[in-house]
Amino acid sequence: MSTILKNVTKQYDQDKKVLDNVSAEIQTGEFFVIVGPSGCGKSTLLRMIAGLTQISEGTIKIEDRVVNDLSPKDRNLTMVFQSYALFPFLSVWDNVAFGLKARKADKADIEKRVNDALKMVNLEELRDRKPRELSGGQRQRVALARAVASDAKICLMDEPLSNLDAQLRIKMRQEIYALQRKLGLTLIYVTHDQVEAMTMADHIMVLNDSKIQQVGTPEEIYQHPANEFVASFFGVPPINILPAQKVSEAILQVNSDFEVTLPHPIAHANVRVGIRPTDMKVVDSDELHANATIKAVEFLGNEKIVHAKMSHGGEVSVIVSSEEVFQPYQNVEITADSEFLLFDVDGKNITNKGAVTHA
Amino acid sequence: MLKSPTTEEAIEKKQASSKKRSTFKLNANDKYFSLLFLGPSLLILGLFVFYPMIKTFYISMFLTNTLGKTSVFAGFSNYAELLTSPDFLNSLVVTLAYVLGVTFFTLAISLLLANLASKKLPGIGIFRTLYSVTMGVSVSVAAIFWLFIFNPSTGFFAIIANALKLTPINWLTDPSNAMWAVIITTVWMNLGFTFLILLGAIESVPQTLYEAASVEGASPRFQFFKITLPMISPTLFFVSTITIIDAFKSFGLIDLITKGGPTNATNMLVYRIYKDAFYSGNYAQASTEAIILTVIIAAFTLLQFKFLEKKVNY
Amino acid sequence: MKNTKKVILPLVLVIGAILVAVFSNILTNQSTASSNHKTQIVFWHELGGPSEDALKKVVDGFNKSQDKYQVVPKYQGTYDEAIQKILQTHGSSTSPAVFQAFDISTAQMIHSGFTTPIQDFIDKDDSFDVNKISPVARSFYSNGGKQQGMPFNTSQPVLYYNATLLKKYGITPPPVSPTYSDITRVAKELYEKSDHKVKGMTVQVYGWFMEQALANSGASLANNNDGHTGNPTEVNLNNPASVKFLEWIRENIKSGDFIDYGSGASAGANQTAGFLADKVGIFIQSSASIGQLTANNKNELGITYFPHPDGQKANGVAIGGAALWISNDKPKEVQQGAYEFIKYALKPEVQAQWQKDTGYLALNKDSQKSKVLQDLYKQTPAAKVPGQQLATAKPNYYNSGILMEGMQLTRQLEEIAMETVYNGGDINKALDKADKDINANLHTLNKANGYK
Repeated sequence: MSTILKNVTKQYDQDKKVLDNVSAEIQTGEFFVIVGPSGCGKSTLLRMIAGLTQISEGTIKIEDRVVNDLSPKDRNLTMVFQSYALFPFLSVWDNVAFGLKARKADKADIEKRVNDALKMVNLEELRDRKPRELSGGQRQRVALARAVASDAKICLMDEPLSNLDAQLRIKMRQEIYALQRKLGLTLIYVTHDQVEAMTMADHIMVLNDSKIQQVGTPEEIYQHPANEFVASFFGVPPINILPAQKVSEAILQVNSDFEVTLPHPIAHANVRVGIRPTDMKVVDSDELHANATIKAVEFLGNEKIVHAKMSHGGEVSVIVSSEEVFQPYQNVEITADSEFLLFDVDGKNITNKGAVTHA
Repeated sequence: MLKSPTTEEAIEKKQASSKKRSTFKLNANDKYFSLLFLGPSLLILGLFVFYPMIKTFYISMFLTNTLGKTSVFAGFSNYAELLTSPDFLNSLVVTLAYVLGVTFFTLAISLLLANLASKKLPGIGIFRTLYSVTMGVSVSVAAIFWLFIFNPSTGFFAIIANALKLTPINWLTDPSNAMWAVIITTVWMNLGFTFLILLGAIESVPQTLYEAASVEGASPRFQFFKITLPMISPTLFFVSTITIIDAFKSFGLIDLITKGGPTNATNMLVYRIYKDAFYSGNYAQASTEAIILTVIIAAFTLLQFKFLEKKVNY
Repeated sequence: MKNTKKVILPLVLVIGAILVAVFSNILTNQSTASSNHKTQIVFWHELGGPSEDALKKVVDGFNKSQDKYQVVPKYQGTYDEAIQKILQTHGSSTSPAVFQAFDISTAQMIHSGFTTPIQDFIDKDDSFDVNKISPVARSFYSNGGKQQGMPFNTSQPVLYYNATLLKKYGITPPPVSPTYSDITRVAKELYEKSDHKVKGMTVQVYGWFMEQALANSGASLANNNDGHTGNPTEVNLNNPASVKFLEWIRENIKSGDFIDYGSGASAGANQTAGFLADKVGIFIQSSASIGQLTANNKNELGITYFPHPDGQKANGVAIGGAALWISNDKPKEVQQGAYEFIKYALKPEVQAQWQKDTGYLALNKDSQKSKVLQDLYKQTPAAKVPGQQLATAKPNYYNSGILMEGMQLTRQLEEIAMETVYNGGDINKALDKADKDINANLHTLNKANGYK
């Protein structure tokens, strides 16, 4: 009982693949997030699951049934669009009831489901309003209610929060998560925002350049990214990636600026080191010992982000406590201890910590 | 559309407060100025709209002689006479039938064509051009074209009927067919414009609405009636108003094709007014009819706005 | 940049000045070059197509024949519309000095008081012998013993038949003055013998034909002798003459040999096309159509008088067409010029050429001796028939037209009666309805005009 993507490929032109050989299994009842930068093919993948876009190669199976040639209405799912796709001429209530009426549901049943759905998203009082009389967040809720009212157990969402302001986005994030849990929906959620992915997902699929980079739980993805791309996609500010050379069995020289100790021996002579901003240290230094210059300091309240330029090129961000004082153009020494990731020159994770790599 | 209501409200509040602040009072200078600005439009309206209307009403209160001058005061007797005259009532009925027929068929056919042409099929561009081609045809050309087709002995329909050993239909000489003949011709004339406007409206319906509906389980038929129609209803309202007013004013085609005949079967109000005034020289009667027509069109437009406008605005 | 700005204004002025100069030049050229200090005589007419070309020939002829006047012809659309233009522009600078107004507007023109009777000019002119002009035609446009307008383009309704088709099917042609049953016989035979491929006959829905049927039967439409002895106060269309006429048509509709082309100009064109394409064998039309019917006809054209009821003699039909009138809102000099033009237009040789070009009848008796017409008759003997019909008729009240106002509407109502009958309606009811409507209009008109 799950949704299975097998070798799914989408190709419009002869030589350009929008999606290349995507395979994954989405468990029933889970919150599954497809994330990636714009143009990575994530919306296309969602539309292929919905049936709005034809599949070029591969199969999509929902509940043991291959749906490749089924029309959207026969796949028994529901979808929330980025633009909400509300019918401007219908009231809130009728918008929510639309799908049920299209499927010719029983009148009393429609009544009950729509009212329940509206209650669930706190829109009962606005039931007679037209979409243009609603705020952005309220429209978003109507779209959610429509998905809720449907009896479909799979719900697709295509960047549903991207039209909202930051505050509202956080609130709706929680509401969507709560709804999904409460109704036990299988939710397939597309976003370009790594925070949304991290905060809501049971499993995350990271897409880049038409290909799957990694599938895993948020922890797996954050702690054991499959590659440099995944590592740098998650986390704010992003992970610092610097080139490094092996100077001895246990010592790596990073960016010719400082050294770190290897927890275990490695075969590669040249590697790339990924250090999270929280895992770096920065201290004031004289010109003689300094290996970086501060470019800017951002104050965030409980902490500060220090952006610095390394002496041998490259920039890093370091999170420090908000009590520490740094000034732009100050000479500093930047170091790291043993918490870091190692990538080979192709970007593949070679940190030997038993990282799980789904392919 | 996507502007958040909070900013809208804020703007409204701002406007309201600024209005409150500048409660203005016209002083003598302002009055002079406002007249200066209003003057030209008042003058033009007065000269070309109000004066002719009042004059028409004035003439309708008299009998007019051979020279078209008012001679004997008649009060409302012209109205009484017309409204009890079977010929005039026939003209009313005929006009109404024509207007309804033209509007219905124009909208129905062009909606069908526009819906077909909005589909993304190979070669659809050719059909789009074909469907809209009548927009470039003038009334006189259309009339001559259709007169050829309707000709009872050498026309297109007659040739087909003869080939099939059927009796040719008397398109223009049989009163019940003549009405169809002018409706067909008018609808044909109207199609191009209405088609283009409706096609534009259909194509501007956001694609995601259809996608959302198809995911929710709506069939193409359901989508057409529950999405396309409501979404283009403001445009439908617009074209139906234009078509109705145009049909009421239809003159050229009638004059060229049937001249109001046979037996007054296509004697629409406007054509009747023209004939009474410029053929028979009966300006009093023509003026009375013009006033009645004005009232009817005004009533029609009012009704349309009252009943339809509510339903089509979202 | 500064320089270009400086140049723009003068440039605009110069271009403007050139445009003004060019256009005013064109405009003034048109009027001055053609006038050369001659007195301008504006002439309104309603003849289109080939007739307009023929009319221009008459005008050019007049303009070249003398150097005092310059006639400027201006086309005004249909007869019906022109009447209102003439009445509404009278007294303004755009009004014509001489104009063409059609037969049924005669009463309106006389009553308007906007014209000077031609008689006033004839009386002062010894060189013009008015007796040379057809008396039937003249009587149509006279009132109180005075010539009001001068008949110009004059036609008579005649019956045309396809002589070649008749020969082909071995049908005896109708006599030159046929009865209704003569025509019915030919029409039926043609329809049957052609195996229903050719319709026998048609009569266009045209009030003029209805009035001619009355005239030819010796019946009047309006009281006071069709208005010749006083302003009409009552019409009586439902009389035995109209009933017989419509019954004749009804009989042919019933036997299937009749085809209805409807009313109006397009009906006229359709029926001519049908006749020339061998789709219908017989139709009634103005004699002015002869030109068109001989020029484009591969068949031999047959012509007879307008048919008359069985068991009585034909009374003769009234003329149709139009007359020339002189407006009284122009200076003496201009009026005199208008009269000179009318006189020229009625010269024997001008009228002979006019008949040959248009099919309208030559009104000057001397025209018949001209070589132009003699040649025409030799070539198309049938072309003589309309003229004979005109010459045979003795003018009386019935065949001198109907001197009544509101004739345009009257015609429309007559046509509605005809259409009703053509579509299967009851003859008496249709005629009664027409009587009622015509009388109602007549009473209103008389009241509005203050006539007794």
